Amino acid sequence: MHKLILVLALASCSKTGDPGKASGRDAVVEAWKAAKLAPSTLSAATVTFAKDCQSGTIENLDLLLCSFASPADAKAAEDQGLTWVGAATGAAQAHGAVLIVLADRRKADPSGRTINRLLKLAPN
Amino acid sequence: MPRSVLVVLAVLCLAAPALAGSGKQVRYVGIHPLPKSEGGGICYIEGPHVHIFDVDKVQYRDHRGAKYFVGDPVAYGYDGPRYAYKGHHPIHVDVVVGDDQPDDTFCYITGPHYHYFAPPEGPEFKVSGDAYFYVGEPPRAYVDARPAMMKINAVYQPIVYDRPVITVDAPVGWIGARAEFMAPSAGVVVEGPAAAAVVAPPRAGVTVQGYIPMPSLHVDIGIGAPAVIVHDQPAVIVHERPVIIEERVRVKHDNGRHRGHY
Repeated sequence: MHKLILVLALASCSKTGDPGKASGRDAVVEAWKAAKLAPSTLSAATVTFAKDCQSGTIENLDLLLCSFASPADAKAAEDQGLTWVGAATGAAQAHGAVLIVLADRRKADPSGRTINRLLKLAPN
Repeated sequence: MPRSVLVVLAVLCLAAPALAGSGKQVRYVGIHPLPKSEGGGICYIEGPHVHIFDVDKVQYRDHRGAKYFVGDPVAYGYDGPRYAYKGHHPIHVDVVVGDDQPDDTFCYITGPHYHYFAPPEGPEFKVSGDAYFYVGEPPRAYVDARPAMMKINAVYQPIVYDRPVITVDAPVGWIGARAEFMAPSAGVVVEGPAAAAVVAPPRAGVTVQGYIPMPSLHVDIGIGAPAVIVHDQPAVIVHERPVIIEERVRVKHDNGRHRGHY
């Protein structure tokens, strides 16, 4: 009985503790993997507009995934996310508490179809 | 090497990426053509995004600081789902791009054309022959902006592409057949000699639409900015079928006294 209570308590903590953290980012990556769009290994990234970010590449696009405390916080960071794109085609969109930033710095996606697909696959 | 030289070199190295990437971001929302300098074709990113190139003003409207394309993407090679329209019509940009801030604008493309979105269901559009016809009541802003926005037709006139073929009669109430919203034909605004227009009698199978002015010297009596328009050369207006307007300019002879135009 005590074990059951402990398990329930831990489960409760994990849901209410920080809903926008890794789980949201993992969900985005899993959705892409399900569509055979696997990102490279993501590594911690330091940016001025968020504290919990990881960067890598996907389909030869530069990728930044940042987790926020709430969807509103992620939405508010969209404009700042564009600064990470720099002088390139790109997008910064909040999906739930995750901010997805994609930059086509190598002109790998001139029609934008891949960027559009990645953003549409990401869960909200 | 002197320390000052090293410092200068270091500063230059640090500044190099910023100088190289000095392209300014321009915000877009929705599908739009890519300029030839960028390889042409279509950008298929539906949501908000940025590029480092700018575009013309005639085919774009501002939507919350982003450029929204109001033209026909098929003319630029768009190969996705498309919907046929005929004549001018509103575009509910907020519905197309999926945000919650109402933003209505107008498409001023005359004749059959495509968009990548269908209008929202409601009484302002009627579907006939698989094409959307606007039968609603346009706002004053539509008429006010028309003289400037009609320039979009000059953009599409030389582009060769498969436009929708609409052979059905327009439904009752279509904006293109309402006298109060007759669009002035593309012409040259001039002042000077009176001109007489002769509309060639329609050949078999030719439809002459009611808004063709006769004579061609006319005042646009809509609620927009009035304009006196004289065509300086024959105009060919193609909708479903060709209509030819011939122009003649009467010149009064004054036996060499040359008193100018009358």
